Amino acid sequence: MTQVEMKCPLSREDTADVLLDYSARRLDKARAARLERHMESCEACAAFSVQQGALWSALDEWEPEPVSMDFNRRMWQKIDLLAAEPWYRRLADSLRFGAWKPAIPLAAAVLLVATAFVMDHSGTVAQTHDVSITEVDQVEKTLDDVQLLKQFDSTVTETGASKTAM
Amino acid sequence: MGASPAPDLDAQLMLRVRDGDEDSFRVLLDKHRNPLVHFLYRMVQEQPVSEELAQEVFLRIYRSRASYEPTARFTTWMFRIATHLALNWLRDEKNERATERLDEDRGGDLPSRELPDRKPSVEQRMVYQARLQEIRDAISALPDKQRAAVLMHKYQEMEYAQIASALECSESAIKSLLFRAYETLRARLAHMVVRGAQ
Repeated sequence: MTQVEMKCPLSREDTADVLLDYSARRLDKARAARLERHMESCEACAAFSVQQGALWSALDEWEPEPVSMDFNRRMWQKIDLLAAEPWYRRLADSLRFGAWKPAIPLAAAVLLVATAFVMDHSGTVAQTHDVSITEVDQVEKTLDDVQLLKQFDSTVTETGASKTAM
Repeated sequence: MGASPAPDLDAQLMLRVRDGDEDSFRVLLDKHRNPLVHFLYRMVQEQPVSEELAQEVFLRIYRSRASYEPTARFTTWMFRIATHLALNWLRDEKNERATERLDEDRGGDLPSRELPDRKPSVEQRMVYQARLQEIRDAISALPDKQRAAVLMHKYQEMEYAQIASALECSESAIKSLLFRAYETLRARLAHMVVRGAQ
């Protein structure tokens, strides 16, 4: 079975992680063997690996200082003080640490629906208003017409009666 | 690296804390106290400050227990809070030092900042301290994000995806960032690196 040639990890910054992991001895055996084969023919990667390994060892020299013995005691003291805080302070803290973040999409959706409702509703009101004005005009006109007809009828009746009387 | 993620036991503990189990918080505190203080110590390089900041991280975790949802690994969340606090402290400290320098330039009579006494007792100790100081200086001279990424990668042995999540950027960006950070460190500590490589 032929082995696929490895692309040089140093060809891009975001592919050099394989060299960093190799120097840190965090690479699995198969990938380490593949990289070692590549380094036999790639001087740049071989030099990088050696220098990174040396840097890694140098950084190991920096040991942190031990943590104070009373760290936990001081921690629990602060937690006890926290429990004694008034409710509004605790509420403000919970809001500060992002408890409200999941409510943002919900609030946005509610706002959107409310806006759509108000816009839709205000349109209906205006339309209704226009319709009612038209209806009143029509009713007034109809009443006028009816009154005119009544007057005409009465005039016709009066004329007929006077002719009959003559 | 690259293995399937193990079930996050810390997140399960945190869910128990959410339900009012203080013993689970005690377990989390005991488990993560040292790595967290060590990370913060390397970030701010002052032991009392690193402990204060670590306590603030735990306090914030405890405060937000009621709304906790395991959306990310617990350690990722914890280191994200820690990084924010450390970077804020460093920014404030930088501003404070700048103000102090201005006061000194104006002939102010403020007492000078007390530096920790690192006077060695023997020659070997001196050499060791000098090397250590060089490493500390080289790391502290890195840009903020590069420094945090190097400390998480080198000392906390965090995976790229976790570092990316903690620093709120892409995995590819973190790989590039780390490549440049280590390149800078190899250049700054060249004498150690060359000697070590021989």
